[in-house]
Amino acid sequence: MRFTWTVFAGLGITLLLTTSPAHAYLDPGTGSMLLQGLIAAVAGVMVTARMYWHKIKGFFGRGAEPKAHEKDDRDHG
Amino acid sequence: MAEGNIDRGSFRDPAGQVHLIGDRVFRTVMPMAAADYEAVRNRPTWRKLIDSGRVLPEQEVEPTVLGEAASEAVHVLEHPRLPHVSYPYEWSFPLLKAAALAHLELHMEALEGDINLIDATAYNIQFQGPKPVFIDHLSFRPYHDGEFWTGHKQFCEQFLNPLLLRAFLGITHNAWYRGALEGIPVEELNRLLPWRRKLSWKVLSHVTLQARLQQAAVEKGGKAEVKQRKLPKPAFIHMLRSLHGWISSLEPADTGKTVWGDYARNHSYTDDEVAAKKAFVAEAVRGFQPETLWDIGCNTGDYSKVALEAGARRVIGFDFDQRALELAYARAVDEKLDFLPLFLDAANPSPDQGWAQAERKGLAARRNADAIIALAVIHHLAIGRNVPLSEVVDWLVDMAPTGVIEFVPKQDPMVQALLRLREDIFPDYTEAAFLAHLRERAEVVDSRTVSASGRLLVAYRRQD
Repeated sequence: MRFTWTVFAGLGITLLLTTSPAHAYLDPGTGSMLLQGLIAAVAGVMVTARMYWHKIKGFFGRGAEPKAHEKDDRDHG
Repeated sequence: MAEGNIDRGSFRDPAGQVHLIGDRVFRTVMPMAAADYEAVRNRPTWRKLIDSGRVLPEQEVEPTVLGEAASEAVHVLEHPRLPHVSYPYEWSFPLLKAAALAHLELHMEALEGDINLIDATAYNIQFQGPKPVFIDHLSFRPYHDGEFWTGHKQFCEQFLNPLLLRAFLGITHNAWYRGALEGIPVEELNRLLPWRRKLSWKVLSHVTLQARLQQAAVEKGGKAEVKQRKLPKPAFIHMLRSLHGWISSLEPADTGKTVWGDYARNHSYTDDEVAAKKAFVAEAVRGFQPETLWDIGCNTGDYSKVALEAGARRVIGFDFDQRALELAYARAVDEKLDFLPLFLDAANPSPDQGWAQAERKGLAARRNADAIIALAVIHHLAIGRNVPLSEVVDWLVDMAPTGVIEFVPKQDPMVQALLRLREDIFPDYTEAAFLAHLRERAEVVDSRTVSASGRLLVAYRRQD
C-alpha cells in the first residue's frame, strides 16, 4: 500500500513537471508508454532516494535492522 | 502445400505462421524471428514453461515436412492439435478472468528467466477443458534490461477492461468484444466509469491516466514525447503482480454465489423426470461413443457431466445464460471435468469475421463434434425466437452426425410461459412435425417420453 501511494504521489508530481519535448512518435499505445515512462521515472527516483538514505544511515553508524516496510520497498526496486 | 493451409488467425505475424495439414498443426519460424526464437528456446525457463502446461508443447520437425509452403522457414515446430478453438467474446467472465491470470502468471515466470512477451492478446490463450494454455510461441523474446511492457495497452483492452465492465458496471463483455474484436478501448471505458471508481489507484493508473496521456498525446498532434527511460525489472514485475492481485479479486457485479446456488436448483420438473432424462442421455452417449460432444444449451452442465460419465471424451457446452455459464465453469474446475462451457446466442452464433472475414472463424466453421445433445433448446428458438421448427432441426442435425434432441411440447409449462404474453402463431409446432422433419434427415434410433407434460427425447443418427 505504502509503495502504491508513493508511486501515486510521485506520478502526480512527475505529470505536473514533465513538459520537455523529446523524440516524437505517436501510435495507439502512446498512453501506455507514457504511463510506464512515469512509473520508470518514479522507480528511478526511489532507487536514488534509497541509495542516499542508506548513505545517511551509514554516516550515522550501523543503525538498526531495516524495518519491515523498508524490506518491502526493496522488492519494488 | 499452398497458402490454403495457413491458419487465417496467424497471417498477421511475419515472424511465422500456423499451417494446418490434415490433423497436424505446424508453425514456421521465419528468418527474422529465428535468432530470438533460438535464444528463448535455449533458456532453462523455456522448458519449465512448457512442462508446467502454461505453454502448448512444441517439437521441432524437419522444415521439409511443409514443402514449398515453408521453403524460407528456418525452423518448423509441430504442436498438438487443440480440441476446440474459442474466442474471448465466447468466454464467460470466469473464463476471461482465468485467461487473464494465466497470461500474467506466464509473463512473470518468463521474466524471472529473462524471457519477455511482446504482446498480450487474448486470442493467444485457448482452453483445454476449463484450463487455459498459451499458444503463440513467437510472442516470446529474450528480455532486455529496462524494456517497457509493450503489451500493456493490449492487456488492458483485451483482458482487464472487459472484466471491469462486468465487475464495476454489471455489463457483460461478449457483445461489445465480438463487435470490436480487439477488446474494450481504454478511452471508452474511462468515459463509462463513474468518478467514485476512479478514486482507486489501480483504476486511476491503468484506465484514467492511460486514457488521459493518450488523449494528451493526440492533442499534441503526434509530438508527444516518450522518454527513453528504463523500466527496472522489479517495477515491471510489480505491474504484473499488482494487476494479478487486482484481477483475482474481481467478481461479476450482478451475481452473488448464493444466487448461483439457487439457480442450480431451479428445475421445473421432478427428480424422477430428471433421472429418466439422464438415463436416456447416458444410454445414447454410450451408443455413440463420441470423442467430442457439444451440449447446446448446457445450462450448469448437468447433462454435460452425464455425457462425460457415459464415455464422451470431452464436452464443449454452449449457453446464453451468463450465470449458468459461471456455475458450469466452477463445476468443470471443481470436479476436474474436460468440459468447456462457452457463451452462445443460438439465434446469432459467432460469425466469420476479422480481416477478410476469415481471421476469426464462425461457429459453423469450427464444428468438430461427433455428437450433440440439445435438451430443452428447441422451444427457445422455435417459439422464443420465431425460427421455423424445420430450420431449428436442420441446424442441430448439421452440427454433428449423431445426437439427442429434446422436444418440449406446447402444453409444457415452460412453453406456456414463453407464450403467455404473446399470440400463439405456431400451429406447426407439434411433436409430429418435429419427428417428420428429423426423419427427413436422420434415422431415429431411440425415443422416450420423459415427463408428465410430454417432453420427448430422441436419439438419432444423421443420414449423410
